[in-house]
Amino acid sequence: MPPPTPANDEAHQQLLNTLDISHVPKPFRNPHWKPSQRRNKNLKQIVSEASRKEASVMATQANSGATTPGTSGMVTDGTQTPAEGAGPNLSQATQNLSTLVLEKNARATFQTGPAVTYTNIESAPSFNPAYRHHYCDITGLSGPYTDPKTRLRYHDKEIFKVIRTLAQGVPENYLEARGAHTILK
Amino acid sequence: MTITSVHTLLPARVASNATEKRAEKPPPQLHGVQDFPFKGYHPPQPEGYQQSKAHPDTSAIVIDNGSHLVKAGWSFDKNPRFAIPPVMSRYRDRKLNRQCQFIGYDAYVDATTRGQLRNGFDPGSSVVGNWDVMEGVLDYLFLKLGVDGADGGVGRPILMTEPIANMAYSRKMMNEILFECYSAPSVAYGVDSLFSYRYNGGTDGLIVDSSHTSTHVIPVMNAKPMFSNSTRLNWGGLQNAEYLMKLMKLKYPTFPTRLTDAQMEEMVHKHCYVSQDYDRELNGFLDWTGLEDRDRVIQYPFTEHIVQEKTEEELARIAERKKESGRRLQEQAARMRLEKLVKKEQELEYWKDLQNNLANETKKEIRRILEAEDLKDEAALEKLIRELEKSIKRSRNKDLGIEETEEQPEEMTFPMLDIPDDQLDEAGLKEKRHQRLMKSNVDARLRAKEEKEREKARIEEEERLDRETRENDFENWIAKRRSNRQSILQRIKDRDRFTADLGNRKSLASQMRMKTLANLASDGPKKRRRGGDDDDFGANDEDWGVYRTVAVGEGSDDEEEEDLNGMLDSVEKELLEYDPEFSEHNTFAAQSDWTKSLVHAFLRGPWPFDPESQREAHQLHLNVERIRVPEVVFQPSIAGLDQAGLIEIVADIINQRYTNPADQSLLLKDVFLTGGNTLFTGFDERFRKEVRGFLPIDATMNVRKASDPVFDAWKGAAQWASGGDLGRSSVTRQEYMEKGSEYIKEHDLGNATW
Repeated sequence: MPPPTPANDEAHQQLLNTLDISHVPKPFRNPHWKPSQRRNKNLKQIVSEASRKEASVMATQANSGATTPGTSGMVTDGTQTPAEGAGPNLSQATQNLSTLVLEKNARATFQTGPAVTYTNIESAPSFNPAYRHHYCDITGLSGPYTDPKTRLRYHDKEIFKVIRTLAQGVPENYLEARGAHTILK
Repeated sequence: MTITSVHTLLPARVASNATEKRAEKPPPQLHGVQDFPFKGYHPPQPEGYQQSKAHPDTSAIVIDNGSHLVKAGWSFDKNPRFAIPPVMSRYRDRKLNRQCQFIGYDAYVDATTRGQLRNGFDPGSSVVGNWDVMEGVLDYLFLKLGVDGADGGVGRPILMTEPIANMAYSRKMMNEILFECYSAPSVAYGVDSLFSYRYNGGTDGLIVDSSHTSTHVIPVMNAKPMFSNSTRLNWGGLQNAEYLMKLMKLKYPTFPTRLTDAQMEEMVHKHCYVSQDYDRELNGFLDWTGLEDRDRVIQYPFTEHIVQEKTEEELARIAERKKESGRRLQEQAARMRLEKLVKKEQELEYWKDLQNNLANETKKEIRRILEAEDLKDEAALEKLIRELEKSIKRSRNKDLGIEETEEQPEEMTFPMLDIPDDQLDEAGLKEKRHQRLMKSNVDARLRAKEEKEREKARIEEEERLDRETRENDFENWIAKRRSNRQSILQRIKDRDRFTADLGNRKSLASQMRMKTLANLASDGPKKRRRGGDDDDFGANDEDWGVYRTVAVGEGSDDEEEEDLNGMLDSVEKELLEYDPEFSEHNTFAAQSDWTKSLVHAFLRGPWPFDPESQREAHQLHLNVERIRVPEVVFQPSIAGLDQAGLIEIVADIINQRYTNPADQSLLLKDVFLTGGNTLFTGFDERFRKEVRGFLPIDATMNVRKASDPVFDAWKGAAQWASGGDLGRSSVTRQEYMEKGSEYIKEHDLGNATW
């Protein structure tokens, strides 16, 4: 790379100035807009917050009876004795009632199973043995053998020799590429 | 059971004949790397905004908010006007003392901006993680689209894409920004792959959308997405590039240049392809034949070290100078020799004169003269003269270049030895002692000669016997040679292992060594306590062997090493000569040749590697990776992702979730591939072939690919927005204020409320 000449430098600064949008007026922005300080969250935080919120909504609905059952909500499905019949155990009956209402509401919203969320549309682990091949960690070729010391899979004896000369920590990196490394917590 | 014979089966890579291997491969075709994806300055395009002024309520700004590229334009456009990566570089310039902000490709402009690069999306996901970047990107897009903010806001409806089953939090934040910061009159959201499908005219089918950060499979019926049967695989183009980066760093741990994500992405795009039969192609990938076509060489910029090359003239001059000085030295030596010779001749003359003179002198005079010359008697004088003559003759011969012939010393006789001591006087005794010494000398020489001859005879005899066994009992002879070779190979291997083990602190060899050291250190004081200072270390020769077991590293067993290799060479020479089954490429040297090495083929392809060359040190070789990386979406376990692969997902949706054959055939009739990760060569064919394996034999399946897997989502969104659906599906500012930031309106191409 040639050393920057003053002329070059100036041209580059010129370019930077044209590219820089910080000093360009942005009339479409609301001048009073103040974003909240902690709005940047990673996926893990968002997911855990969402699930916590979901759980708490379920819990409060189950306990507080915030949802009042409608008139048609009084149907019993046969597995449950009607509330009048279970006179002494009133508390349990109300509990069951509110759960019933909740379930019915849920059924009304989602006809086909549970709600679709970011987490539950993730594909499940593979159950097909046809896809359970072992590949050499070093070369990616088929890897029928496993080194008991490093747990690396390898293709043939030449690769095995290579494995045995790897520096400390390197086998762990290879395992990490396959997601089989040990995580110390 | 006993093992009666051992036979090594060589893989095809090794077994191919040696002459083919020797044939030089054509030089590799080199592929360069891009520097940084800086694309230059893009001027704003305000004419779109002017055009939108005619129908400000229906002309929407359409933004496909992708994690690889954010595409933006107007709903009446055919193509997006801008496509930038969602990155921002914002920092305070110390020299100018002001804030700088660069968005998209502009953020790659120089080292400073690259150093401050931030990505808008949470790494490895399709969810926005950094809203400051997102705001910057939107600022940039609105500026470039020429929005003038006449009413203090964007003033046009906005249509944005979002991932399927988007998080409520993400939508909330996006709504907040769009409504509160940009004062958008209305906002609608939709799913990118559904727009792409609609744009390509699909109504019932299975969308397979493999994009930058994830792969989705979405069944669509009656133009309605079946979200509850949709599945996401957390693998896409970004993960491909990251995986390739990991592999490259492991493959070339000492690579001299920095590898960047953008370069890895480029390599994935340019060189990777989906294999039609992964396992078969994989195992032949590093075979010698055709490896030069399968191996791709990526050349990074480098500077070769320049070796100071001397010109012909200079070399000649140096040689001349050397010769000249040599000649001068020779001359000098000759002169000195000559001087010495002259001096000796003078001396000789003097002594001869003396001798002649002595003949005429009296005995007494003679003794006086001799004494003055420091000589004992006349015999001594004679001896002196004889020696001088001899040396003169020798040096003359040397000067004239006559080869000196060592005259055989005449048979020496030692008569004095047989005479008993008491019959001899003083001089006689002395002479006898001298003769005895001489005799033992001669005897020793004779004995050595005999020994030598005997040894020679023994070797000859051995060779004769060897020849005889070879001729009479060839089987045994060759078996012995072979086993001998095996044992030498074994010893070489053992030696290598031993030296390797010594480097490892926990190995048996090291532990033995430490034990010895500890013993040596501890038994000193013990002994002293018992019996005083009787340290007799070294009295026995074996004591010194201790040092051999203790010494490590260089020089500890150099001699043996030479020896083993020499022995192997000689055995192999014999085998080459007589064993019909042992040929040139069976030798140890040929076996350990680089052309036989799998590791070499993997690291350096079918070309020799010169560790001195900077050019070769700056090369990456892509071979197995070319199919290994795109394979992950089919077999996520390769990269340690514990999810079912794409084919399994598709098969599961079709076979398990839709049990009605009519539904199944409806979905199979239109399998639609979209997203940048489906652009690999061979993706469609592989997909078709593998899915077919899961289907009943009479099922019909039709697989097609989006006309433009990357931009069709935006085009579909623009098309949809220019229709009447946008108004019905948008959340107005009013509704946002009333119903909260998580409120959306459901439509056929967007996510549902839950």
